[in-house]
Amino acid sequence: MASDSSPGPTSTDDLISSPGRNTLSPANNTRNSRRKRGRPSAAVGTPPVPSHSRYVGTPEPSPTPNSTAPSSRRGGRGRSGSVPLTSPSTDDVVPSSEGGEEDEANGSPAMFVWGTNISVQDVNAAILRFLRHFREHESHTDGKYMKAINHVIEIEGESLEVDANDVDAYDSDLYTKMVRYPLEVLAIFDIVLMDMVSRINPLFEKHIQARIFNLKTSTSMRNLNPADIEKMVSLKGMVIRCSSIIPEIREAVFRCIVCGHFSEPIVVDRGQISEPTICMKEECKTKNSMTLVHNRCRFADKQIVRLQETPDEIPEGGTPHTVSLLMHDKLVDAGKPGDRVEVTGIYRAMSVRVGPTQRTVKSLFKTYIDCLHLKKTDKSRMNAEDPMETEQNSTQNGEEPRVDNEELVEKLKELSKQPDIYDMLTRSLAPNIWELDDVKKGLLCQLFGGSALTHDTGATFRGDINILLVGDPGTSKSQLLQYIHKLAPRGIYTSGRGSSAVGLTAYVSKDPETGETVLESGALVLSDRGICCIDEFDKMSENARSMLHEVMEQQTVSIAKAGIIASLNARTSVLACANPSGSRYNPRLSVIDNIHLPPTLLSRFDLIYLLLDKADEVTDRRLAKHIVALHFENPENSEQNVIDIPTLTAYLSYARKNIHPELSDEAAEELTRGYVEMRRRGNFPGSSKKVITATPRQIESLIRLSEALARIRFSELVEKKDVVEAFRLLEVALQQSATDHATGTIDMDLITTGVSASERMRRDNLVGMTRNIIMEKMQLGGPSTRMLELLEELKQQSNNAELHLNDLRNALGSLASEGFVVIHGDSVKRSCLRLPVDKDGNEYSVWLKKGWLWLWSNNPTMIAYIPFPWLHSKGL
Amino acid sequence: MVGRQYDCLVNPLGAVRFTFEKAVTSGTDPASLDRNDWGVADIFREFLFDKDGISQVPILTPSTVHRVQPNTLVRFRGMIQDMLGNEFYVGAYKNEGTWNTNKFTDVSQFAMDPSADMRVWERRLLYCVPVPGLNSWADSTSDEVEMQDASNELPNSPRAKKMREGESFMTEETDCGGPTVSDVDFRNKFSCLVKIYDSPESDLKLNDVFEFIGVLTIDTEVKNDKNGEHELEDELVNLPPSKVPRLHCLVHRKLSVPDMVFKSPTMEPKPHLVKEIRESLLHYLKVVLGDDELAAHFMLLHLLSKVHSRVDSFAVGKLSLNLTSFDKSSISVFGKRINNAIKTLLPFTHHMPLTVEYLNTVSLSPVKDYETNRLVSGALQCAEGSHFMIDETSLQAGVLNSNGVENTRLLKDLMEFQKVEYDFKYYKMNMDADVQILVLSEAKSNILPADLIVPFHPSSVGPLGDVDEETLNEWRWYLATLRSSPHSIETEMQKVVEDDMVAARQVDRSLGSEDFSRWLTIGRLMSLSFGETCLSHQHWQMVKEMERLRKERLQ
Repeated sequence: MASDSSPGPTSTDDLISSPGRNTLSPANNTRNSRRKRGRPSAAVGTPPVPSHSRYVGTPEPSPTPNSTAPSSRRGGRGRSGSVPLTSPSTDDVVPSSEGGEEDEANGSPAMFVWGTNISVQDVNAAILRFLRHFREHESHTDGKYMKAINHVIEIEGESLEVDANDVDAYDSDLYTKMVRYPLEVLAIFDIVLMDMVSRINPLFEKHIQARIFNLKTSTSMRNLNPADIEKMVSLKGMVIRCSSIIPEIREAVFRCIVCGHFSEPIVVDRGQISEPTICMKEECKTKNSMTLVHNRCRFADKQIVRLQETPDEIPEGGTPHTVSLLMHDKLVDAGKPGDRVEVTGIYRAMSVRVGPTQRTVKSLFKTYIDCLHLKKTDKSRMNAEDPMETEQNSTQNGEEPRVDNEELVEKLKELSKQPDIYDMLTRSLAPNIWELDDVKKGLLCQLFGGSALTHDTGATFRGDINILLVGDPGTSKSQLLQYIHKLAPRGIYTSGRGSSAVGLTAYVSKDPETGETVLESGALVLSDRGICCIDEFDKMSENARSMLHEVMEQQTVSIAKAGIIASLNARTSVLACANPSGSRYNPRLSVIDNIHLPPTLLSRFDLIYLLLDKADEVTDRRLAKHIVALHFENPENSEQNVIDIPTLTAYLSYARKNIHPELSDEAAEELTRGYVEMRRRGNFPGSSKKVITATPRQIESLIRLSEALARIRFSELVEKKDVVEAFRLLEVALQQSATDHATGTIDMDLITTGVSASERMRRDNLVGMTRNIIMEKMQLGGPSTRMLELLEELKQQSNNAELHLNDLRNALGSLASEGFVVIHGDSVKRSCLRLPVDKDGNEYSVWLKKGWLWLWSNNPTMIAYIPFPWLHSKGL
Repeated sequence: MVGRQYDCLVNPLGAVRFTFEKAVTSGTDPASLDRNDWGVADIFREFLFDKDGISQVPILTPSTVHRVQPNTLVRFRGMIQDMLGNEFYVGAYKNEGTWNTNKFTDVSQFAMDPSADMRVWERRLLYCVPVPGLNSWADSTSDEVEMQDASNELPNSPRAKKMREGESFMTEETDCGGPTVSDVDFRNKFSCLVKIYDSPESDLKLNDVFEFIGVLTIDTEVKNDKNGEHELEDELVNLPPSKVPRLHCLVHRKLSVPDMVFKSPTMEPKPHLVKEIRESLLHYLKVVLGDDELAAHFMLLHLLSKVHSRVDSFAVGKLSLNLTSFDKSSISVFGKRINNAIKTLLPFTHHMPLTVEYLNTVSLSPVKDYETNRLVSGALQCAEGSHFMIDETSLQAGVLNSNGVENTRLLKDLMEFQKVEYDFKYYKMNMDADVQILVLSEAKSNILPADLIVPFHPSSVGPLGDVDEETLNEWRWYLATLRSSPHSIETEMQKVVEDDMVAARQVDRSLGSEDFSRWLTIGRLMSLSFGETCLSHQHWQMVKEMERLRKERLQ
């Protein structure tokens, strides 16, 4: 097996010989030997030099805290012993102290890892079997890893990524061994790989290493304990510091300063180089003449990275823990500060250096993780194809919740099958904010989101749902926002008041030290594929708001500053809340007047909710009850039958990630029907002017909402009921925000232009009709008429029994302001003299107001007012 | 082994070793002793609490640190300012065939052969500082121990020698005798690295105040050798043992505010007694506040307030007070009086004169410094139950820079949610806080929206007079104890309260949940201030009356 590959055994030896003794320096051995062979100067005639294994490079020999160490050496030896090696290279590797063991090992046919019953041959065979035969699906003819190996050979790669889950699925015993004795098993793994590679392509020079990832269980940083030392662990965290790249010497070459003779490359052994004290050249033999030749030494890259716990793993009242990672070669610079990563590596401990004058040994260890694999859980925003593959930042499980955790998935699926899942989720959303169920349903849709779509033509349709909450102070808007912010993937919370344009979007700043321009992203970019919660939206500066236009429709933020022009993705849902422009909502004014937002921006919100504080004793009592309960009851048992937050987030992220509903034909039909209906309803009866009821933007919103609703049920298909519910949500929201109270229809003009067309028209009509009636029925200065009589008359004429006294009052009010009538309590008196049409065809009206005689004419030049104090005094 | 082989006070490690040996010889596997106590804690608990040994244990302060012998028992009272993670150490090792332990010490007793059989155990590192804003009366550490450990001091001890050699701060310290101002400043810089064994993580939380009793070690011998360790930096390198003593904690106990009011007699909260104290305290506050009775009432309730539960982001029970209508002359008189009064009443107090410059320059939020891997404490990192008096009268118009904006936001968040945002650079974390905030301002403060706005109407500046220590202690006891007593409401009363709220809202639509919350908080505190655990009709009427009076003033 290994007999044909000289580098194999070489590194095997080293691989196995040093663990525990030294710090790990993964990922190196192979490359080294390879390079060496490539370079004649170093390699020719020189047997490949050993011990630059993964595990070399410690400055300090450390007592192994765990007794497996010496053993592994034996194991390694054993392996090479059992398979006779043709390569001479092995010989010079033998660490002297280990000689005895080696002999012993050579003699016995079955080798065991020290202190265990793990047979090296068994492991070897198991790995080989796994690599050869593992298939992802039964149908595949080629093994997954055989393919991968061939691929690596093709691209001349250096490592083979091995999914630990595959190992476990194929051979759970091997998995257990690998996790428990990673140093030994990985060494064997590498040998096997090398054998296989050289079989496939004997000329392939590079050494391929196995990089294990995706362990079944990932440890939390906080739970690492002494029992984990020397074991393979998987951790999630955030990179907070990267050291500069440390060149670590692997092979040193010395030159005699007397005769110029170059020594053989001397390999670093356990962090130390034994400097030759004497020139090896026969003729020279000068003592203490050897000097290090830097450019002929071989170095490897090394980096120390510090990993810190992500906020979700920190228990209450704790500070984040950190752990050091040792990165080598390819892994160097794989993670940058701020990246969220999942690393797989071997947890190691190194004793703290003892001072030279130290009498006693300091009993401390420093721990670090020798990194085998690093996976960024934060996929680069630009590269992610599917924006719905939302990573969860704020979940309990970290960014990419282990949705492959079958148990959880089962639980979630079970949950999704509940018939009342929609209501249950609604209930579970901010359970302490009572009522507002429809708002919560809208928010739920926002959390789940619709499907983004990129058309073949390149046109994109956003899947994010934007919601605006407008309402009176004290209607829990902020609490809702805070809650969503906590729950949402990548929730960013910002207050409009404090947000400049800079805070909300990206901006360019100059590094004060280097003068380099740096792109800093603001809330919107940071909340890419999340929800950006903007409180006090109305207080936001014009500038910042204008940025939102682009964000909310194109889902990008463009910046052109300091010579940098960039368009950053900001596929974010916006959840904004605003107070009415007066402190309270004035129902007489339109939404636009109330919130003072540009209609263009307003129309970009899918749902606009009005949270109005109604003067209603029942609600008041509920408020009072709620607050009393808040103060005096144990909050834990106040609500039952709700889904807890971790489950909710898991549910959410699973749905966002795995469920991509599509419209069913039935649903599409319903959508069309409903939309047409909505538009039709906009036709004001008896009016020639067609009021725009729904805009194409609404149909997009509806699609998004129905998709989100399907997603809530974990359904891949948008059904009719989803569409119906989406319509309902839209109407609930719009009825509140855009109801023209007069007609009961939805008037999008309220939102798109800020003026209610029909209301204006209706009022005008009413005023006109009232005027006509008065002109017909009442004499100038004649006896007064009761308002109710007028109303009856009006109802008859307009065929509208729904008319209210208030409507009439309003109409009369405007007539009175013209001076056409005088209102005394409930009675109306015509105060206007209408003159006949004069010879020029000008129509005249004359009336009295505040002691003046007003002359009105349809000819503007004829308008006049004349003081008539005496008329007034006569009570006219 | 007959009798006591060790002296808990002078040779606590002897006790540790003795019990360890006993455990091992009795057949316990040393490996199983990790995270397990083998009886050490019991011995010390017995010694400290049952036999009242605690009074003999010297308290670690800047002035005593150089006198206390290393490897003896000491105690330290402080707040957990930062957590430095876990440390792995050789817990047990074999020396010449017998097991030894390194627990509760930094250096091993015997030389360890690197190849010897050993067990790695872990312990937690906590960085502790004296409680920020601790008032001298609450600092029981200051005087009493000095006499005690004077006798312990051996002039020729290695520790004393070391002190003489260097450490300039020590000489400085010995110069000034009593607790002077500089001493207080200095004490705030004093810190201690506490190593915790065998206790669950949830026991000790950030910003908790604890008393740690354990072994003091000063391992100056171990120098951190920087070269060679360049790669795996040591967080402790910035905390040299010569400056930051190490305490291997044997026993720890959480100190709540009543515990800090140490010297006060333990009293039963008898109703008549409580009422008496209440009256006298109220009278005192009234004098302090220039005969403004309403302000005094609200002040009393404010001083009793405490976050007793959290529902979502809402902190129930907080009652921040904003006294308005101050002008230049009244602030100079009353600002000081109020500050002094609060200082004598509450153990942890902070006075924060708000100016534009202050906001722009100071860093209020604790920030993680990744260079040193330490949490740099900000002004808002404080113990539970701290009191902040923020004087807004000195705030002039000016431009806030980004730091200033951030600081105002932090203060506002603290008032609204009782949370402090800790800046970990890559992310921020909200930590719960429970602080009382008093704002003094000319008009209603919009920067710091308080729960309760009371225009301050002093009528006279009466002399405060001397308050004897006993009375003061009674007041302190009153505030500390009643604050945390339980409270509830009966169904019948609940109905009354609800009805009142509904009726009030029918009259005034502008009343919102904040107002009702405030009423209930005031109601709760009102009955607490009388030592009662249930809201009564009478107190509810008082609440309404006070609110009415307050409203009148606001108009």
